[in-house]
Amino acid sequence: MSEFEKVLSSIFSYGTLQQMLRSATPVALAAIGGSMTEHAGIMNIGMDGMILMGAFFGVLGSFLFHTALAGVGMAVVMGVLVGLFFALLVVRYKSDEFIIGCALNTFAIGLTSYLSRSYFGTSGTKGNPALPMLRLAFLDKIPVLRIFNNQSLFVYLTWIIVIAAWIFVYKTPYGFWLRASGEKPDTLRTAGISPKRMKWIASILCGVLCALAGAHLSLGQLSGTFAENMSNSRGFIAFACVIFAAANPAKAYIAALMFGFFEAIGLRLQGYVSSDLTNTIPYIITIVMMAWVVVRKQAKKRTAKQET
Amino acid sequence: MKKFVSLFLALVLMLALFVGCDGDKKPGETGAAQKSDLKLALVVAGQFGDRSFYDSSKDGVDRLAKDLGIQVTKIECNNDGHDAQMKNAADKADVVVCVGWEFYNIEEIAPQYPNVKWIWIDNATSKPVANVLNITYAQNEGSFLAGYIAAAMSKTGVVGAVGGEDQDVINDFIVGYKQGAAAYDAKVKVVTNYADTYDDPAKGKECAFALNDQKADVIFQIASATGDGVFEAAKERGFYAIGVDSDQKYINPDVIICSMKKEVGNSIYDAVKALAEGDASRWGTTWVADMSSGYVGIGYGDAGMTQQIPDEVKTAVEEMAKKIISGEIKVDTTR
Repeated sequence: MSEFEKVLSSIFSYGTLQQMLRSATPVALAAIGGSMTEHAGIMNIGMDGMILMGAFFGVLGSFLFHTALAGVGMAVVMGVLVGLFFALLVVRYKSDEFIIGCALNTFAIGLTSYLSRSYFGTSGTKGNPALPMLRLAFLDKIPVLRIFNNQSLFVYLTWIIVIAAWIFVYKTPYGFWLRASGEKPDTLRTAGISPKRMKWIASILCGVLCALAGAHLSLGQLSGTFAENMSNSRGFIAFACVIFAAANPAKAYIAALMFGFFEAIGLRLQGYVSSDLTNTIPYIITIVMMAWVVVRKQAKKRTAKQET
Repeated sequence: MKKFVSLFLALVLMLALFVGCDGDKKPGETGAAQKSDLKLALVVAGQFGDRSFYDSSKDGVDRLAKDLGIQVTKIECNNDGHDAQMKNAADKADVVVCVGWEFYNIEEIAPQYPNVKWIWIDNATSKPVANVLNITYAQNEGSFLAGYIAAAMSKTGVVGAVGGEDQDVINDFIVGYKQGAAAYDAKVKVVTNYADTYDDPAKGKECAFALNDQKADVIFQIASATGDGVFEAAKERGFYAIGVDSDQKYINPDVIICSMKKEVGNSIYDAVKALAEGDASRWGTTWVADMSSGYVGIGYGDAGMTQQIPDEVKTAVEEMAKKIISGEIKVDTTR
């Protein structure tokens, strides 16, 4: 094997693909939630805070009730509350969604750090009951399907959520109303449906999905571990996925997979390139994606003009 | 009414911010035999709860408060606003201890507070400043031993290290680790990567998995809370991990075989205690706390914890430590 082949095989291994699935899952869940608010015409940059809250309350529930499912339940309940809170400020009181999003992120860091210290002391917590993982010995023998083994259940749950979200947005009247509430709220109002109500629903869905993303982070990917500020900007990457996918849940999932893939590649490239460079890869990809979105939009506009 | 409610909610949000940064500002407990009226402020670059570097410094000042009655204020920068926090601390204390290599503006700030005695942990000013005591650690020496142990415990002949970021102090650990591994067996391969974050355990876990994919079966974590993920990865895949800064074996005695200890707390304690007794001769210099004075070394956990490292390896490590102290082995450094 030549030196170059060795490098390639160390970068593109099953480990890379497995990491892609693991790292993509929290981002994807948050991105699906972000798609909901994006369709409802709310620019939601508070997802990072929502993820952090989900991560903390997931661990807290798991700690208090000694089962990871209770943790997920508690995260979801908090997700609903955070979504309601967000909608109250943004939809009801028409505050600037950008400011509220920023405030929510900072608020989440403060609140979770404070609560984490009051419950667990400064050392954070670890080793609480975690969600089970899929471990099937026979899967390891099948070439490609191997990457689906030893994954948290959330990885598979995400697939179901992606499909459900896609059907919800594009194939049900509710999804139609949701999109209309963002694009043409007045038209929706004439049809007798309150755009505000759809915005409330979108915010709550986003809160819940981000909470699930957080719960995956702390209970699925890690075994019941919480560290302060552990969301580490995943909410912002999720937001990039939302924009890239034009708020289509299926495309958002693919975008999240891409981020996961490039993160995994970046880690493995570190043996050959400086880590300062490899760590910029996700952000370079973001810029490239955004450029692509803009170019495509322009092209669409041009064809639209030619057609008329 | 609406306006009032929005204002109220905004106020609640703002207050919540303060709740988060409150830290724990306990006044020092008194009651010790020898009292000192020194006021000390501990400023850490990250946050407490890493169960290693910062917690060790906290432990040191807590003991100062208990033993000497020194009044202690603790400030966490959460990786932001280091300069402002340094000034805040200097406004209300006689001794300011800055923990973290990030406080490089101490060179400009310390001379503005000539009456305050500063201690800078983990880095040194480019030229001596009269009221700054730099304490650096010979982490390369301790890491040498960690590397030696890792190589001895590895079955695959590949050992790994996960660093917090590509930066001087972290690399000082890594060069020592590599040299130590080579000292055991020159054929042992050392693979490393950097998480580029100190508070993301999930990323740390992925870093460890990536190294394990390259066959590393003993992995040294040098990444604060990110390193928690390394321990989890070790547990999940069944390889060994080495802790850092504090004796971390208690976190998971089954996979953490030992820890490279950096006695940050002890060094702060000793320096401030000397100051309280009237000895300020160290200020204006850089004190390298090394293995010979016991500030750097290997910890094997408490009695009763499962020991994976055989006694003959431990004896060999002790021999190595003696050779480092006597100067027979010169450990590489990045500083």
